[in-house]
Amino acid sequence: MTRTRKPGVSRRATLAMMGAGAVTFATPWMARAQAKTIKVGMPTILSGRVAQLGTSSRNAVMLEIEKVNAAGGLAGRQIEMVIRDSKGQPQEAARVARELVNTDGCEILIDAEASSGAFAVHEVARDLGVLCIHTNSETSALTADPKQHIPNAFRTARQGVHDSIVGGSYAAAIAKAKGLKKWATCSPDYAYGRDTTGEYVTYLKRFAPDVEIISESWPKLFQPDYTEVVTKILQAKPQALYSCLWGGDLTSYIDQANIYALFSQMEVFAVNMADYTALTVVKNLPKGIHSGNRYIKTYPATPENAAWGDAYKAKYNEYPTNWSWENATAIMLLAEASKKANSADGKKIAEALRGLKIKSPFGADGTVTMRAEDQTLVGYAIGWGTTIPQEPYVPQVQAGDWKTIFELEAEWKKSKGYT
Amino acid sequence: MLLLDIDALTGCLASSACLVTQTTSGFIIGMLLFLVAVGLTLIFGVLKVVNFSHGAFYMFGAYFAMTAYQVTGSFALAMLCGAAGTALLGLVFERVFMSRVYGSDVLMQLLVCYAFVLIFDDVVRMIWGPEFKSMGMPAAFQVAPLFIAGGVVPPYYLLLIGVALVAAVILGLGLARTRIGKVIRAAAHNPGMVSALGINTGLIYGGVFALGGMLAGLAGALAAPVRSLTPGMGFSVLIESFIVTVIGGMGSILGALIGAILIGMIRSFGSLGFPLFTEGLMYLFMVIVLVSRPTGLFGKEVA
Amino acid sequence: MTELQAEQAAVVPRIESQSQRSRYIDVLIALAAFAVLAILPMLTGSKALLDFVIRCSAFGLFATSLNLLVGFTGLVSFGHGMFFGLGAYGFGLIMQRTGLPVPVAFVATLVITTLIAAVIGAICVRLKEIYFAFVTLAFQMLIHSTILSWVSLTGGDQGLRGGIPRPAFFGIDLSNHVHLYITSCALLVIGLLLMRQIAQSPFGYTLRMIRDNATRASFIGIDVWRAKLTIFVLAALFASTGGIIMALFVSGAYPEFAYWTISGEGIFINMLGGVTTFLGPMVGTVLLLILNDTVTRLTEYYGIVLGIVILFFAIGLRKGLMDFVVEWYARRRDGSGK
Repeated sequence: MTRTRKPGVSRRATLAMMGAGAVTFATPWMARAQAKTIKVGMPTILSGRVAQLGTSSRNAVMLEIEKVNAAGGLAGRQIEMVIRDSKGQPQEAARVARELVNTDGCEILIDAEASSGAFAVHEVARDLGVLCIHTNSETSALTADPKQHIPNAFRTARQGVHDSIVGGSYAAAIAKAKGLKKWATCSPDYAYGRDTTGEYVTYLKRFAPDVEIISESWPKLFQPDYTEVVTKILQAKPQALYSCLWGGDLTSYIDQANIYALFSQMEVFAVNMADYTALTVVKNLPKGIHSGNRYIKTYPATPENAAWGDAYKAKYNEYPTNWSWENATAIMLLAEASKKANSADGKKIAEALRGLKIKSPFGADGTVTMRAEDQTLVGYAIGWGTTIPQEPYVPQVQAGDWKTIFELEAEWKKSKGYT
Repeated sequence: MLLLDIDALTGCLASSACLVTQTTSGFIIGMLLFLVAVGLTLIFGVLKVVNFSHGAFYMFGAYFAMTAYQVTGSFALAMLCGAAGTALLGLVFERVFMSRVYGSDVLMQLLVCYAFVLIFDDVVRMIWGPEFKSMGMPAAFQVAPLFIAGGVVPPYYLLLIGVALVAAVILGLGLARTRIGKVIRAAAHNPGMVSALGINTGLIYGGVFALGGMLAGLAGALAAPVRSLTPGMGFSVLIESFIVTVIGGMGSILGALIGAILIGMIRSFGSLGFPLFTEGLMYLFMVIVLVSRPTGLFGKEVA
Repeated sequence: MTELQAEQAAVVPRIESQSQRSRYIDVLIALAAFAVLAILPMLTGSKALLDFVIRCSAFGLFATSLNLLVGFTGLVSFGHGMFFGLGAYGFGLIMQRTGLPVPVAFVATLVITTLIAAVIGAICVRLKEIYFAFVTLAFQMLIHSTILSWVSLTGGDQGLRGGIPRPAFFGIDLSNHVHLYITSCALLVIGLLLMRQIAQSPFGYTLRMIRDNATRASFIGIDVWRAKLTIFVLAALFASTGGIIMALFVSGAYPEFAYWTISGEGIFINMLGGVTTFLGPMVGTVLLLILNDTVTRLTEYYGIVLGIVILFFAIGLRKGLMDFVVEWYARRRDGSGK
């Protein structure tokens, strides 16, 4: 503010400054002059119950930004990250996102919010037309539903339906081999838990038609005590259990189910088990839990992936999370798209992003693609395996087949009325 | 939507195995809640303060226990540290901060508590980090569950129920029979008279807060082996124990016990009969009790 | 009894004539405030400042309406946020599902709020003091868990997605930032003016009497239950309006809007600004939002900073900012009078 108050400033501008200044004594609200650097805004969750995920997103972004800036930035402009806490509240996410663009002069948004926050930021992107990359929301509708579609928003996260197709076909194969017909589900009672479980069961039944769901439990998100859920499942005596509990909820559940010896009585499929945050925390990890990969440095089993995981660990003294690779991918794609467009302009980058295929440590075949039609990431590593209680935690991962995924995804979209 | 599953409920009531398992799981949920709720109700009964920051003591109990267990490897010491640490914290909190707002209205007291909910959560995040942690089950309890009348009961939970019941009995007898208990009850009834008799009410208030904090801390310590530890973990426990005290009657220890067991049973059997509405069931029960009997099931009518 | 009624009847005209004069002043102040706010977009290009004022309108209406209950009637509601959420969801759903014009949807939302608030209020206002607080909190949680589990209507925890359509009406296009800003300011100023009228009316003084001594109020023939219910519903309407502004601002509605934390923030705003002056909550709103916006920029340990600020007000000042200022001013005037 003081910088602009010099002789020669027009009367109107001075009035404007005074008008604003009267209320803005505490906040640097005035947009600064466009500098050589390009500002990228990132609303994420840095406090509260899932702060760990927001922190790991920030870590991954900073790790990648260093590399991009060392290589010259976006079309010659150094990137400056502006990262803000939304406390996990959607209205705060919307507010922070708007402020990042309107006040701080950010030209690109990396939306590292969980589901409802992501939809709130999506509306801001729709309103302001700023290039926005959703990095964490796995809710399929965000990109699959044409009503949500806007040309300036992309997603570099997994998508729920992809996970379910792979998980369902993996589980069906085991169900057939071991004769597992009676299944129970236990998932958190919110959109992610319900959608993912519903889709998983659909594909499980499709590949193994004689499977029957005999018990469903829907504990609340962040519920501290699962005793009644554990005993309910024990009463039902299923042969297999599916759960998409995650993070601290999953580890609580495992600790509480362990003392009822639940894991010795049925096969357990927990999609979110193979994530370092959960794997390294559980003290008595039962052997042989089936899990989807979230982030694990041994899958894909490539030197690039191992190197990335180790570099992250070396810098932050902990392993990356699922959110880490998703955010890193956003920056990698941005840098590549900007190179291709030879510009740091949001519209041109968006144009270049559509259909862009880049080399990636997280790709199933060493590459990931930003699919043009619905602007979401495909081709990332996705697979299932069983856990052991020490490194490498999931020694063998069975890869999902992207051809099958694409076929079933198209069918799923049609059934939802999206195409 | 599966809102009502009567078959599952009646099916369970007919089978002894299911009945035993679900009843004990109701007790397990209830007894931990009781330990937190009884402190809440005690503090309200004596100090007339709704201690909104009570969940933080539960959280600190769990973190203290985890750290002690990691350092010493002793489960008993871990429990002791959880309880003693929070007792001390309760004493300091009451003497330094809460004692300053006894005269002012309820809202000011609530604000001070709210401030400490925010501060304590961040303090835990600073000391132990934002990530969730797990203490791990001591080897002594990593044994196969017991089978009682066909129902499954893990030994660790028997210990947990036992500790909570012992605490309830000691507390009940202590308040009813001992001299200190009588002084505390007198202070709840008429603090002016008690202090006129030359008894230091400040000491009693601090002591009651420490006792309440200790019980919540003990609950946290007992829960640490089976629940994940995160900043803010006290919150959902606070809400539930709050429901317990409101149902049982603010200030009544028996009410807290009965309320906690009721909520435990609602959760345990509700998850069979109303899988999607167990939480709603608790709030509904609370509304019904409040409307029909505002002071709760065992609360004394206030003029 | 009759004597008391006669006395009351004598008091009423006196208040009336007083309020007649102050009413004109209030209207003038309101018009001036609106004029200043309306000129703002011409003076500054800062969209963030306009955003800030829009959020102040939403929370300001909400907090001031809560003060009608807390400060003027002595009804400490812990569940006032449910009406904020109800406004956001009601308006958002009507706009998404029916395509009705904005003003019709606005009125319809207020009608829905009136009905629900009347039912909940009828149950709640019978209870006294802390029990009223508990039961409103319980209703809030009940509404919140209904929003979460009624996925087909509310979208569950994901909230109302896909944006809220807002067709232009009377030349006002709410998807235009400045139009939305002016509309929010208008709603805020009108809302505050109406609440001020309620507070200064004979009914407002009845409420103060109920707050100070409900038994005495009922002895002189006031239907305490009806008066409490009326103000409960009126306050809900203004909270609902705040929710509508918030829904327009974020172009959606989320379960967090109906969570107890919103009620908690409302109470906090009131304590921050002060409950004894009419504009205290408004001052509190501006303070809290500035605090929120600056602190979250500087640190992720927002809780500690906010906690310490709260302690400063609760233990240090022992009252809200406006209360403090008013008292300080009164003391100074008395001092100089000597």
